[in-house]
Amino acid sequence: MERVSTLERAIRTVLIVLVLVFFLFPIFWIVLMSFQNNDQILRIPPSILFEPTLANYTTLLTGKLQTTAGNLDIAFLKNLGNSLLLSTGSVILSLILGVPAAYAFARFKFRLGENIAFTLLSFRFAPPLLVLLPLSLYFKQLGLTDSYFGLIWIYQLICLPLILWIVRGYFEDVSPDIEHAYRVAGHSWWTTFRKIAIPLARPGIAAAGLLAFIFAWNNFVFALILASADKQPVTVGALAFVTASGIQYGQIAAAIVLSVMPTLLLALYAQRYLVEGLSLGAVKG
Amino acid sequence: MASLLLDNVTKIYRPRGKAPVEAVKRVTLDVKDGEIVALLGSSGCGKTSMLRMIAGFEDVTEGAIKIDGKEIHRLAPAERDVAMAFEGYSLYPPLKVRENIGFALLRQRGAGADIEARVKEVASLLEIGDILDRYPSLISAGQQQRTSLARALIRRAPVSLLDEPMSQLEPQLRAILRARLKDYLIAHKMTTVFVTHDQTEAVALADRIAVMEKGELQQFGTPDEIKTSPTNLFVASFIGEPPMNIFAGEVSPVSGGVAVRGFGPDGTSAFALKAPGLELDASRRVQIGIRPHLIRTGTGASDATGRVITNHWLGDQSHISFDIGGCTVVGVTDQPIAARAGDALPVGFPLRAIHLFDPETGNALAHGLDRAP
Amino acid sequence: MSGLVLSHISKGFKSGKVLEDVSLDVNAGEIVAIVGPSGTGKTVLLRIIAGLQEPDGGTVAIDGVDMTEAAPESRGVGMAFQNFALFPHFNAFDNIASPLTARHTPSDTLKEKVGAVARMLKIDHVLGHAPRELSNGQKQRTALARALVAQPKVLLLDDPLRNVDAKLRYEMRMELPRLLRSYNAAVIYVTQDYKEAMALGDRIAVLRGGRIEQWASPRDVYAAPASVEVAKLFGDPTINLLPATVAQGGIQLLGRAVPTPQASGAVIAGLRPEHLTVSRSEIANGIPCELDAVMPVNVRSVLYMRGPAGEEILATVGESEAAKFGREHRQVWVDFAPENVLLFDAASGARIGHPAH
Repeated sequence: MERVSTLERAIRTVLIVLVLVFFLFPIFWIVLMSFQNNDQILRIPPSILFEPTLANYTTLLTGKLQTTAGNLDIAFLKNLGNSLLLSTGSVILSLILGVPAAYAFARFKFRLGENIAFTLLSFRFAPPLLVLLPLSLYFKQLGLTDSYFGLIWIYQLICLPLILWIVRGYFEDVSPDIEHAYRVAGHSWWTTFRKIAIPLARPGIAAAGLLAFIFAWNNFVFALILASADKQPVTVGALAFVTASGIQYGQIAAAIVLSVMPTLLLALYAQRYLVEGLSLGAVKG
Repeated sequence: MASLLLDNVTKIYRPRGKAPVEAVKRVTLDVKDGEIVALLGSSGCGKTSMLRMIAGFEDVTEGAIKIDGKEIHRLAPAERDVAMAFEGYSLYPPLKVRENIGFALLRQRGAGADIEARVKEVASLLEIGDILDRYPSLISAGQQQRTSLARALIRRAPVSLLDEPMSQLEPQLRAILRARLKDYLIAHKMTTVFVTHDQTEAVALADRIAVMEKGELQQFGTPDEIKTSPTNLFVASFIGEPPMNIFAGEVSPVSGGVAVRGFGPDGTSAFALKAPGLELDASRRVQIGIRPHLIRTGTGASDATGRVITNHWLGDQSHISFDIGGCTVVGVTDQPIAARAGDALPVGFPLRAIHLFDPETGNALAHGLDRAP
Repeated sequence: MSGLVLSHISKGFKSGKVLEDVSLDVNAGEIVAIVGPSGTGKTVLLRIIAGLQEPDGGTVAIDGVDMTEAAPESRGVGMAFQNFALFPHFNAFDNIASPLTARHTPSDTLKEKVGAVARMLKIDHVLGHAPRELSNGQKQRTALARALVAQPKVLLLDDPLRNVDAKLRYEMRMELPRLLRSYNAAVIYVTQDYKEAMALGDRIAVLRGGRIEQWASPRDVYAAPASVEVAKLFGDPTINLLPATVAQGGIQLLGRAVPTPQASGAVIAGLRPEHLTVSRSEIANGIPCELDAVMPVNVRSVLYMRGPAGEEILATVGESEAAKFGREHRQVWVDFAPENVLLFDAASGARIGHPAH
């Protein structure tokens, strides 16, 4: 029965509002904080009425942090650039490695296939701290410490399992007959992979890439140990706001707002791929 | 068992943010006690909505549904005393086939030891006697469907509703199971409404057929009525395999009768017939319908000459298609025809096989030109 | 020779043998229908011909060239899939054109060829549509056009009419032979519907349990089925099968003696429903049966009866006779001609002797 009473509708609206408040309030508050100075932020009781200031943002953009304990240089923009480079680089690398692997796992049943796929996923289970120590020793030996290449390599370990497992599911949803039809039509395996398999799994690839990007972007501990100041991403860079004269909440809020921007924009852009239906009506059923 | 009446029933769906959809439009059906009625139509014609309204899974927007004269359309499904076999089978996965079938009887008081015997009876009727101790997930789709059907049949409810009861049936079992089902329904005087998109199933099983299209009842009659006097072009072309041959044409008065002419795709006359004894004031455009099974070929047939396109012998019948002045005409005979593609054969259209329809409305104008109007 | 030759193809999976020693030949311009219940390896066989799967043994030759090891794209095969398998992100035109783009056809020739096949299949008005915008019938025609457009030497059709409605299926059944012949390919047509096979096939291969159980003309498969199972597959309503034991050179069939010179031991007698005559009034030598249900089909009716020993019997009779029977059970008299009885060995299921036809 699809009839909906007014009461039911009212309850539904209230519930939705509650959920939205629960999820969106922290973000809203952070945005407000980013336009306040430390005194306003720490005022009790807090108020949403205040005189906005852009000081936090100017600090971040100029890179000069003035505190009571003196002036500090903040490499926030550099950090942001590092984050972009590391996340993008690792996502691209894992797409190049992961998509063909996902295809192989989806299409071919081979000995130990499931075990290999699971082992790759299990990288995600191990606490990073557990592997950090041996990893940093290896990196020293190999000369990879504090290099972008080394960091991207490590970040790629975060992205690859995600991409592999999500994209594999999408490949499995594409009827093999569609690829067979293209092969029989006279196209090589490689053309079929490029022209049929990849485009049909595109929503999955976009979703996995986006998710991997966010995971890479938010990573903290690998970069903290393996990167020096000039290679650090924003997550580590934000530590600089914990200064000798106290925690700079305003700048941290502004830094968060700025660092959320790229992922947010990316998510908005990729949204149409994420919601685009996979089954486009080519196969009956 | 019981009679069922759908009195001016309308169903309107109001999807959020979309225009309302009138799925069933003022349909009136009276199903007599013990009668088997088919709701026949293509997908989206409203037949399943009607069944679900009778069962109580959908609200009736307007109108009433009565069982034995008592309004039931506001009652909960369980209070209506109807049994239903679902198209999606809806078997209980943790129960064995035997328990699935017997389930509804457990609720009935006094069934007792009788249950086992009745399960066996209906299971052997539907050829699932040997899988009674299996679980639904381990049997084929066809067997699941038969289990679902058995679960509905065993109740011998006052009204039984069957949604596409035989769509998944293995072809070799189809004829015999249809036969047993029909025998069972008649023997137990079960009032039955079943939904199908397959006109052969409707014709084979039903006492009367309700042909639906776009939410409207097109015709409600016996299989014979629907076959010989279809109310409109839709019904005419839906019933029968192969479907009725339909051509654009014209009827005009001639001395001593009426001339019927069929046109080819280019608008020129493809064949002409004379129907004596009929009278007509003026010429008019018509759609001409001819059932394939009544078309004659070979000696004695002289209405037109057809060039054979295909000639298929199917073991017990021939399906032959001709090109007659650009029209493709399909005929069916009981005997093999010795003709190859390209041969010319005389073709006869018996007057009793001719149906005339209005080209604009599609409504029937005449059935069988040998009958006086 | 021109056409397709399969020799001793076998294929097994972990779950067991799927194809065993399958040999077939299809001439250019010929249509061979492969009929069988689901799960008998029909689709696997097509895949082996197309090169999508490798056989464990045997060879596939196209126009006299051994193609067993060749990649699917180099075999010159066209294929239409049961689920259509259109490319969802291409429009109908690009779908149909895909075999031509693979062959680097110049664009004006390509347009011309796609246009021609689309006109022939009456889908030229929807060439710009994406597959999801097409009706089921149009999808099916697009898939067929794609298989035909490059004029393949071998055309594989995997139950192409399975997913279209009855009316369209019938239309295509009438239209396909002419269309397929105009391309002069060796056609393999897989179906579960015996009527489709008889209508379209020049020859029929009945596949059961991975083996070819019968390989004959449509007429012979129907009139002289190789086994009980073939007889059950061909015919609607299904053939009546009654077990009997040969004694004194004959069997008792529905209480009547039928001479069976070639048979001995336990047999199964097959009587096609259309070979029975049914009468309302007592006839000489008639077998008294109880008529339980009448099911009209087009201009005929199927009668459901119980024989003298309670045997279930189906008979097909003409319209005029059927109209006389009511809804209630009643007594009728059945007759059949002994020469129409098909005899099968009860143990092996193989047909015994040569029936007249």
